[in-house]
Amino acid sequence: MPPDLDAAAAQAGNNSSDFVRKLYKMLEDPSYNSVVRWSADGDSFVVLENEKFTKTILPKHFKHSNFASFVRQLNKYDFHKVRHNEESGDTPYGRDAWEFRHPEFRADRKDNLDNIRRKAPAPRKPTQAEDAFPATQQIVVLSESLAATQHQIQALQEQYFELAQTNKVLVNEVVSLQKMVRAQSQVSNELITHLNNIEDRRRNSRHSNHSSHSSHSGPSFHPSTLGLLPDGADEPAPELRRAREILNGVSPDSQADRDLERLSVAYHQNGSPSDSATSSVMFTQPGAPPQMPLVHDPINDPRHMVYPVGQTTGIDPFHSDHIHNIPYSRPLSNPNIMTEAPSQSSPPAKEQFVSLWGSKKPKILLVEDDKTCARIGSKFLSNVDCSVETARNGLEAVDKINHESDRFDLIFMDIIMPHLDGVSATAMIRMVAPRIPIIAMTSNIRQEDIQTYFQYGMNDVLAKPFTRDGMVRILKKHLSYMLKDPQPIGLGADDTNQTAGAPGPGPPNSAGGYGGSGPAGVAMATMAGGGQVKFEQTPIQSPATTSSWHSPSQMPHTSPTLDSSGYMSAQIGSGPGGIVLTPGGTQRPPYANQVVPQVGTPTLGRMPDGMGLGDDRPEKRQRLYGPSQGQYVQ
Amino acid sequence: MSHTYDRDGEDSFNMAYFGDHVHLATFNQILEMDEDGEHDFSEPLVFNFFEQADETFENMDVALAAEDLDELSKLGHFLKGSSATLGFTKIKDSCQVIQQYGHKQTVEGTAEPDKAVCLGKIKEAINTLKTDKIDLEKTIKKFFGIEDK
Repeated sequence: MPPDLDAAAAQAGNNSSDFVRKLYKMLEDPSYNSVVRWSADGDSFVVLENEKFTKTILPKHFKHSNFASFVRQLNKYDFHKVRHNEESGDTPYGRDAWEFRHPEFRADRKDNLDNIRRKAPAPRKPTQAEDAFPATQQIVVLSESLAATQHQIQALQEQYFELAQTNKVLVNEVVSLQKMVRAQSQVSNELITHLNNIEDRRRNSRHSNHSSHSSHSGPSFHPSTLGLLPDGADEPAPELRRAREILNGVSPDSQADRDLERLSVAYHQNGSPSDSATSSVMFTQPGAPPQMPLVHDPINDPRHMVYPVGQTTGIDPFHSDHIHNIPYSRPLSNPNIMTEAPSQSSPPAKEQFVSLWGSKKPKILLVEDDKTCARIGSKFLSNVDCSVETARNGLEAVDKINHESDRFDLIFMDIIMPHLDGVSATAMIRMVAPRIPIIAMTSNIRQEDIQTYFQYGMNDVLAKPFTRDGMVRILKKHLSYMLKDPQPIGLGADDTNQTAGAPGPGPPNSAGGYGGSGPAGVAMATMAGGGQVKFEQTPIQSPATTSSWHSPSQMPHTSPTLDSSGYMSAQIGSGPGGIVLTPGGTQRPPYANQVVPQVGTPTLGRMPDGMGLGDDRPEKRQRLYGPSQGQYVQ
Repeated sequence: MSHTYDRDGEDSFNMAYFGDHVHLATFNQILEMDEDGEHDFSEPLVFNFFEQADETFENMDVALAAEDLDELSKLGHFLKGSSATLGFTKIKDSCQVIQQYGHKQTVEGTAEPDKAVCLGKIKEAINTLKTDKIDLEKTIKKFFGIEDK
């Protein structure tokens, strides 16, 4: 044996084969023969008596008494248990014996021990390298889903906040209603008392008239005995009594009252008392029908849900400023938020859009005060083959429309702008261009905001920061009649869309006053999607509609949905059914003054809502009334 | 540093490149508007934005000195719009802070009636804004292959 090799082996051995050396040394000891020894061939070793080995030999040589650890250690050095049963069925060392073998571990090859090493953890390295790429991918995916989750949480927080706000308003409402009712019952009591007195006096006087001679027998006794008098005198009395009984019988649920009291006190401590102040003002005015709001509210509420079906499903969950491209309108497209990032990385869409339009390309007016946003928006639009003009504020936009009312096919309108804000501009534009779709572009997409936008004649909302896809979606939806191939929209209302849109944007007079229910109005209905069922309730609660359209036939119809199928196909897209069907139509009158009844008529229940809205955004309210008040110079 | 357009690698490249400064999906759709790998649309756009940001910072400083919360809120809102549209997340977030506290509200939307607190928060946010903008501008310049002076 060459000495240099030996030395090398020894050196390596120091590092790696301590365990193997100990093992070999242990097997050299003949006194262990009955417990552990080399096999006959010297190519394996056998633990004959497991228990003894564990208790006596292991501690001596390996400083522990755990057979399992010993076996694990062996495995690490690539020893394997020899299975006898499987191979031949004979067990030369007894059933409880453990035989271990390693190809290099032999009784006659002590010099070879250094070749027995721990199994390298080698396999990991290559896999790690392979994993590296998927790992970054995973991180991307994870961080994306994390961001999405964060957005959701944030949105939920905001939703919660809004709900809390609404609840507060409601509680205040109920409290003031309670006061109202209490006052009413007090009034009733007073009236009854008063009537009683009159009654008594009248009875007395009649009684004294008829039987002035028998005076002292007491008035209460006479009515029952005198058969002639009761007609006038006796009959009202039980009614009064009943009335009083009823009044007394209605004892307030004191527990509920106390709870409510606590709530309202809590709210007053937390928030602005203005809500309750305004609402109580609202409710003391009407006097006579204090119950009406209660009766109407439940009917009124669905109306709130009607046009923004997206309001609950589309906006609320995601109305944070930080989310890009919130598809306000269609619950369908909500997943966009999640899928946006992936969809960005698929640019081939570009080619597809070149041929998006039919013979005529849409002309878009982009009203946006921010240079950067305007440039990006213009670029996105021209990229999908639209011609774009921009206006830097509401005033410029109004000028352009005044100059040529049918120049544009669609307007994207920023909300907060200097000189004239987008909502006011829209109201003005509606006077000359009742049909053109006007899309609010804004990061203020709380539902009160959106309600305002719709009330002043806007048709849809594109959340800021806007994306190209978001813009395209709006274009496809509102300019479906200009598409070369309108099929892809693939919505149930597509047919109506086409028929209504067929006349084109040119002659709006075909539908007379309600030109508003052109393609845009229908699109609103489209937007509401499956919400048609809800519309069934609209005719009940929308007196404005009935009065303005003078449609006597409307009330008898129980289901406007039926109407729509009848009338819409008859090209009267704006018949009574049509209007009711498309709340956008009613919400979007051509003239601003029609908005007022819209807001005002539907009972008191609605008013506090409006008030809350005003509270929230005082600066907007101000600016609605013209540029003079706007300190927003830019 | 070359910027050949390799779609698959681009996102991860940009991710590593811009860190949390930039919302990639948003910024990428701006880059997609460029023709054939030239940054003829995005580059001037971005640098106009930086100019816009510098102007806004000056206005903010003036408004801060004047303790004009309304103006600060307005300026915050203004810059928020363009930064968000470009996907410049950090800048947008600071703008949001300024806008909110300009309205005497926390970022979560609860009232913060103490004007001094609001001004403090806004001052902080403006400082962050300026640093972030400098960092971002450096990164973007590198990305577009423009040497910093």
